[in-house]
Amino acid sequence: MKRHSRDDGASFRLGSTIILSVLAFLILLPVVLVVISSITDENVLISSGYTYFPSKLSLDSYYYMIKQSEMILRAYGVTITVTCVGTIISVLITTMLAYPMSRPTFRYRNMLAFFVFFTMLFNGGIVASYIMWSRVFQIKDTIWALIVPNYLVTAFNVFLVRNYYVTSVPLSIIESAQIDGASELRIFFKIMLPLAIPSVATISLFTGLIYWNDWINGLYYLTDAKLYGIQNLLIRIMNNIQFLKVSSNVSLLGTMSVDLPGTSVRMAMAVIGILPIVIIYPFVQKHFIKGVVLGAVKG
Amino acid sequence: MTKKKKKQQRASSAPLLLIAAPGILYLLINNYVPMFGVFLAFKDFNYRKGIFGSDWNGLDNFRFLFKTHDAWVMTRNTLLYNLAFIIIGTVAAIFVAVLMYELGQRSRVKFFQSIMLLPNLLSWVVIGFIVYAFLNADTGFINNTVLKALHIEPISWYSTTKPWPFILIVTYLWKYVGVNSIIYMASISGIDKGIFEAAQLDGATKMQQIFRITLPMLKPTIIILTLMAIGRIFYSDFGLFYQVPQQSGRLFEVTQTIDTYVYHGLMELKDIGMSAAAALYQSVVGFLLVLGANALVRKVDRENALF
Amino acid sequence: MKLTKRLLVFAMVAIMAFGAFACKAAEPATTAPAVSGDSAAAPAAEEPKAIEKVVYAYATFNNIPTEETLTTVEEAINAITRDKIGVEVELKPIVIWDYSSTVSLALQGGEQIDVFQSLGDLSTAISTDMCLDITDIIDTCAPESKALIGENWLAACTSGGRLYGLPTFKPIALTQMVVYRQDIADELGIDMSKVNSVSDVTAVLEQVKAAYPDMTPVAAVNQGNLGLSPQNVDYLTDSMYAPKGVLMGDELTVVDYFASPEFANICNLARDWYTKGLVMKDAATTSSTAAELMASGNYFCYIASYSYPEADTAASLEAQCGGFDLGAKTIGSAFLDTSSINALTWMVSSTSEAPEAALKFLNLTFTDPDVTNLIIYGLKDRDYVLSDDGFMSYPEGQDATTVPYTSQLSCGTLGNFFIMYPMAGTNVESLAWELEQNQSAKTSVAMGFTFDNSAVKTEYTAVTNVIEQYLYGLVCGSVDPTTEIPVFLERLADAGMGTIIAEKQAQLDAWAAGK
Repeated sequence: MKRHSRDDGASFRLGSTIILSVLAFLILLPVVLVVISSITDENVLISSGYTYFPSKLSLDSYYYMIKQSEMILRAYGVTITVTCVGTIISVLITTMLAYPMSRPTFRYRNMLAFFVFFTMLFNGGIVASYIMWSRVFQIKDTIWALIVPNYLVTAFNVFLVRNYYVTSVPLSIIESAQIDGASELRIFFKIMLPLAIPSVATISLFTGLIYWNDWINGLYYLTDAKLYGIQNLLIRIMNNIQFLKVSSNVSLLGTMSVDLPGTSVRMAMAVIGILPIVIIYPFVQKHFIKGVVLGAVKG
Repeated sequence: MTKKKKKQQRASSAPLLLIAAPGILYLLINNYVPMFGVFLAFKDFNYRKGIFGSDWNGLDNFRFLFKTHDAWVMTRNTLLYNLAFIIIGTVAAIFVAVLMYELGQRSRVKFFQSIMLLPNLLSWVVIGFIVYAFLNADTGFINNTVLKALHIEPISWYSTTKPWPFILIVTYLWKYVGVNSIIYMASISGIDKGIFEAAQLDGATKMQQIFRITLPMLKPTIIILTLMAIGRIFYSDFGLFYQVPQQSGRLFEVTQTIDTYVYHGLMELKDIGMSAAAALYQSVVGFLLVLGANALVRKVDRENALF
Repeated sequence: MKLTKRLLVFAMVAIMAFGAFACKAAEPATTAPAVSGDSAAAPAAEEPKAIEKVVYAYATFNNIPTEETLTTVEEAINAITRDKIGVEVELKPIVIWDYSSTVSLALQGGEQIDVFQSLGDLSTAISTDMCLDITDIIDTCAPESKALIGENWLAACTSGGRLYGLPTFKPIALTQMVVYRQDIADELGIDMSKVNSVSDVTAVLEQVKAAYPDMTPVAAVNQGNLGLSPQNVDYLTDSMYAPKGVLMGDELTVVDYFASPEFANICNLARDWYTKGLVMKDAATTSSTAAELMASGNYFCYIASYSYPEADTAASLEAQCGGFDLGAKTIGSAFLDTSSINALTWMVSSTSEAPEAALKFLNLTFTDPDVTNLIIYGLKDRDYVLSDDGFMSYPEGQDATTVPYTSQLSCGTLGNFFIMYPMAGTNVESLAWELEQNQSAKTSVAMGFTFDNSAVKTEYTAVTNVIEQYLYGLVCGSVDPTTEIPVFLERLADAGMGTIIAEKQAQLDAWAAGK
């Protein structure tokens, strides 16, 4: 019997590898198309469409970007800083909020859960939070403008961590620590935070992605282009193109013939937006996988 | 409730409240205080008078959401797509997570995971371009390469409604399955390894282990994610429904959602009160649904309710 | 049950408590402009005349400059304006695609913006009190601009007899033209001078298609737009691409544009081209613009409206269109209605603490070449160089994306276009021609009338959505007009088109009576 199940495991591994390979291939296909079209000659792109084997390659779109390399590098710096700092603060506060909600003995448990969940559904709109952050807290044109508004605590992440504590961390650990006379703060930082590593890794990834992809905060709270993150640079060009796609806007501007970057440059911009992640991620991932796949030590 | 629990309850909740304090404070500042913005939904906004000074206009701002023949179409689309995303999205994410977990080898997990996360880094605008690259009538990849090879007549994708529910769901899965599977991977890895080992010793096949152990253990996670998704069931991923179908009018029957309707309708008016009203409407309906769903879960399975 | 009740009470208390708190929190917002006004007035003690500070928000396509760069340009402008009008300016360039909402947000948030522009939404700005009534201060603060722009044009920025802004002064008389490949026309011996209307174009397209079967003769201008706009239509404040009630001809009778024979003709023509393969299949959804399509070499022509003379139009488009030899032929005549003038209107915000200073500054953007050129091109010799005969170009080795400051692409949206340095390669003579076109173009009988849609907002959203659904397919030929137009009209009627037209007619009659 034992042997049978071991064979079963091996064939399962093989099956998983095959299925995932196919999936990964399918997922990768469109991404590859983005990369290839970024090095396709603009005219070929328009006349014969996007293909995996373009008849003429061109690096023009990257030359266009290199001209602005100073700006792009600075933007990378801003985005990386914001992503790191934001993720660390966010994960800490989120976990601290989620943990008490997971304790069955915590008196305000449900109230707090409702308090958190409510924010997921209702919001006062952009004007109100704009007034809050820009007028009351004066964070316009500071790096905090990219970190603090909107993303530090999201209900979704809080519930993910709470759920992890409820389902995967036995209460007996807390009870035995309490018997040893450890304070709640100590229990949290020394025992519960390390135990939550798989879900901390998960929400770090989510939060990191949110900060990396964000341009809303930059749009509303920055007037100084010095603090622009990479997405703010890219979205400006992308959305100006979208703006011009709307006919009424074009007729509005009338006399202007605006020569904006073409399709291959847009694709190059998309590549530039994901490039650092592709480079950095494997290093981060080492720790991340350790967290997610191996799971926490069981008590 | 056991005696032990009651005893503990008496122990002060203060330290735990203290730990939660930074998060509570943040939500107060970032989410609760700005909620005064919902007043806008009931106001005829005037710049000189400001948010509080503008005249009230009752429910006028909400009328445009209902006084249209599209009300049914957009509500139906929003609901059905969200249901599809909840069901298919969950199944797909769990499927991928289980496979990933079974890989065992860390290097392989790393490899596959990196690839599956890539789409999440692309904006909807870019994804719209990619879909267009595949589907456009003149030079699209599908018409020009795939269908030509199969000797099938080219299809005018952006004016044929039938395939679009499928296209949109596939695009959604493509973008999100990698990210969503991570939540389930974390949950699976939270399962005590001892349980699997014991099952293996008892001669359980892998299949049995997955259906008897893994899936039941994922139930709380599934419930919580579904409840949260229900709360946002009247919202739709604007980029997906706006950028991906290239705003093609011929497809509105199957692509129009509440968000895109509001966007199109207010493009010219730019009415602040009306857009606030739309958001409030979406939230309130989601809220009521979630209260109901949560009450249901609470009855069946108290531990897994949201609150 | 008990818990639900408790939760509800909690939620209500939370909302109420924070609602009340919010009023307090928002207070500094409303008083804030006064504070900045104070600080601007502070140096008054030292100087004989108080220098007032205004914020000038303008839309830009170009890179947003850094704060330091912006300061250098501001200082150069202030050096002029301090003496001339006692005003200092703070420039606020905003990305054009988000311009309207950024300005709206800033004004709602109580931030200082004194001067801003409309992007086709003047009537909304007036009906929501976003902009200031400047009727009483224009004669003292901006008499030169008033004289320059003239009563006729200013009328387009009025509502109820009150003036709310100054329209951008630039070539606005747009003439429908077909922009085509001169090389192909020559090769096939096509005499384009004989093409005088849209219907004349068909024969040419067929000839091109016969000679080059692989080519698509007509490119879309951009998504959903083949450039087949009707002639002599006053859109009565509606967007040209989502018209509801319009005027056609010289009567003051509002009609449903989509029920008109003109609209049916356009759809039939597009359908004809589409079925004959003369036009791109995906015009209704394309993500490419006409210039990109032309550059690919696969297209023969496109139809669009320009304000330049034929030769200039063709010459200025060649670089964008892949360097092919282009020609342009006029196939329509220019027509001005209220919105062609007031689409880009400069306004003083209703929340401005220094409206007179703001208007004085605005005046300079119409009359002072130094101020205007600083805003548009930045600092001379750093951001641009000027040739001896007064043409502007970028410094050696630089372009619009690399110089520290430029908002060159906004040249058609700022103040007075005619006092900006022309870019190298511009034909100066055509400027005079354009100025004359502005005067000589045919104008609508309802010139000066602006429609206020606040009474029919609900119908507007519904009708706009129906238009979005049907219009692109019809004007791009991808659907059959004989079956689709009736369905379209029915849906429009359901959505409340009749109510809109009735309201429009009522307002128009009132306007005509008051004239």
